[in-house]
Amino acid sequence: MNDGFKIVGIKETGQKAEAKKQKWYADKPVIAAVLLGILVLCCLGCKFIMTKDPTYMDLGNCSKAPNSEFLFGTDTMGRDIFSMIWYGGRISLFIGVAATVISTVIAIVYGAVSGTAPGWVDTCLMRLTEILLSVPNLLLVILLQAILGKANVFSLSLVIGITSWTSIAKVVRTEVRQIRSSEYVIAARCMGGGFFYVLWKHLTPNSISSIMFMVVMNVRSAIVAESTLSFIGIGLPLEVISWGSMLSLSEKALMTKAWWIIMIPGVFLVATLLCITSIGNYIRKNVNRTHSNL
Amino acid sequence: MNDNVLLDVKNLTHVFPLSKKIAVKAVDDLSFRIYKGEIFGLVGESGSGKSTAARCVMNIYKPTAGEIIYKGINTCDLSEFRANKKMLQTTRQLILQDSNSSLNQRMKVSDIIAEPMKINGIRPARGTMRAEAEFQLHYVGMDHSFLDKYPSQLSGGQRQRVAIARALSMEPELLVADEPIASLDVSIQAQIVNLFRHLQKEHGFSFLFIAHDLAMVEFLCDRVGVMYHGKLVESAPTKELFANPIHPYTKALLSAIPIPDPRRERSRKIKQFVADETNFSGKLTEISPNHYVLMGE
Repeated sequence: MNDGFKIVGIKETGQKAEAKKQKWYADKPVIAAVLLGILVLCCLGCKFIMTKDPTYMDLGNCSKAPNSEFLFGTDTMGRDIFSMIWYGGRISLFIGVAATVISTVIAIVYGAVSGTAPGWVDTCLMRLTEILLSVPNLLLVILLQAILGKANVFSLSLVIGITSWTSIAKVVRTEVRQIRSSEYVIAARCMGGGFFYVLWKHLTPNSISSIMFMVVMNVRSAIVAESTLSFIGIGLPLEVISWGSMLSLSEKALMTKAWWIIMIPGVFLVATLLCITSIGNYIRKNVNRTHSNL
Repeated sequence: MNDNVLLDVKNLTHVFPLSKKIAVKAVDDLSFRIYKGEIFGLVGESGSGKSTAARCVMNIYKPTAGEIIYKGINTCDLSEFRANKKMLQTTRQLILQDSNSSLNQRMKVSDIIAEPMKINGIRPARGTMRAEAEFQLHYVGMDHSFLDKYPSQLSGGQRQRVAIARALSMEPELLVADEPIASLDVSIQAQIVNLFRHLQKEHGFSFLFIAHDLAMVEFLCDRVGVMYHGKLVESAPTKELFANPIHPYTKALLSAIPIPDPRRERSRKIKQFVADETNFSGKLTEISPNHYVLMGE
């Protein structure tokens, strides 16, 4: 009777080795985000943290090593570094963000114009960005700063902003060229949407994910640019406290073996940059992963 | 008669330059009229210039030659277009073929439907933009639960309905649909065509319907124009055209419609059409009322 064949249904495969439960924070830059959040919050709320007036020069306590009164020591002019860190962080972060906003806006408008314009305009605009890209950035910044005159926070962010948009503009242009012929843009134009409407409503949201990484990285490079400029003495003057201008005291500090004057702003700067880089990397990975199923 | 003409396309020609020496004549001396409240179907094979013609009508392409008169306004003329820009943009609406790419993936359905109203700054008739979007969505047979969805969460037919709702939210007088059903499967095609028919009866808009599916055209349209290589070869009221095709290309095209009866389908002969210069020169001649055929002198 038993011919050795009968249908028994689907074969039980048994539970495979239990898939490890994904923690919500798996491969998210939690430490970086928390650290950056703390840094930003402390800089914004510096009034509540500062133990001393950061601009007050306590000439009796020049170049003091970190101790219980001056947590991070004092610089060569007797200012309390602990207070200066938070106070100056505001300026550094502000320049980073402001310069990025300026450069991103320029990049999006420029890239979109280049992407939608007829061929020869596009070619001209893109060659211009290549010329700008090929000039060393620092040289351009110094040149513009020389034209603008004495540096202050706003002029410095402006100068950094208008020298760092080129690579973002190239990405925006490529994205826009893809999107501009898509049918929803045609439909919007038919309904009467003008250039800036289409730019804001359709082109920007659809290209933002691909430039997000570059935008975040731009914050980083703007902070670096500010520090560099201040360090070589053509950025913010000494009396405007920022991490960069604090570092510009380093030559004097090195001679007096006061390591804390360089180390502490340096550590804060590097920590901020690392956090931003880590978040930027996460965004890049994420964009690559989800790009196909927007 | 003349008062009833909504859209008058006269000798429309559009040439795409490929290089300095080669150019493609996508639309060649095309003339047709659309009367108020009429559904005009434009059929033809791929690459016959139907979509180009539609895009010229919607001012997306600038025609190389010819005139497009809409409500007495020459839309090809830049100064006339600018003077009536708002009216032209609100009363003519476009539905595109691929609903997947004609809706912005990053906008919610409610925003998509309200988009033309926002652009043109029209105060929605039903209070808020959202209420208006909901009304339009109901109109095309979808309920309010779709308002907060993104296009990628909808099926093809639903997306096309959203695109239709977007076009209808402006209460257009001329609706140009560029192969609106070509990317859908047959059952959804039937739904959408029925919807078009229903909406057209309620709204009474004029409709330029572009398709390559003759069965749908026969079902939906009042008049049909047949295009071949950028030229209008025959144009007639639907019944007349299907009963009495004159031009050899039209005959061949009609013979290619499948018959839903296996026995007759097997014996159906598809007429071969050999493109011959003599078939495509000459003038549109009226051989019976409203029946025009391209014929040599």
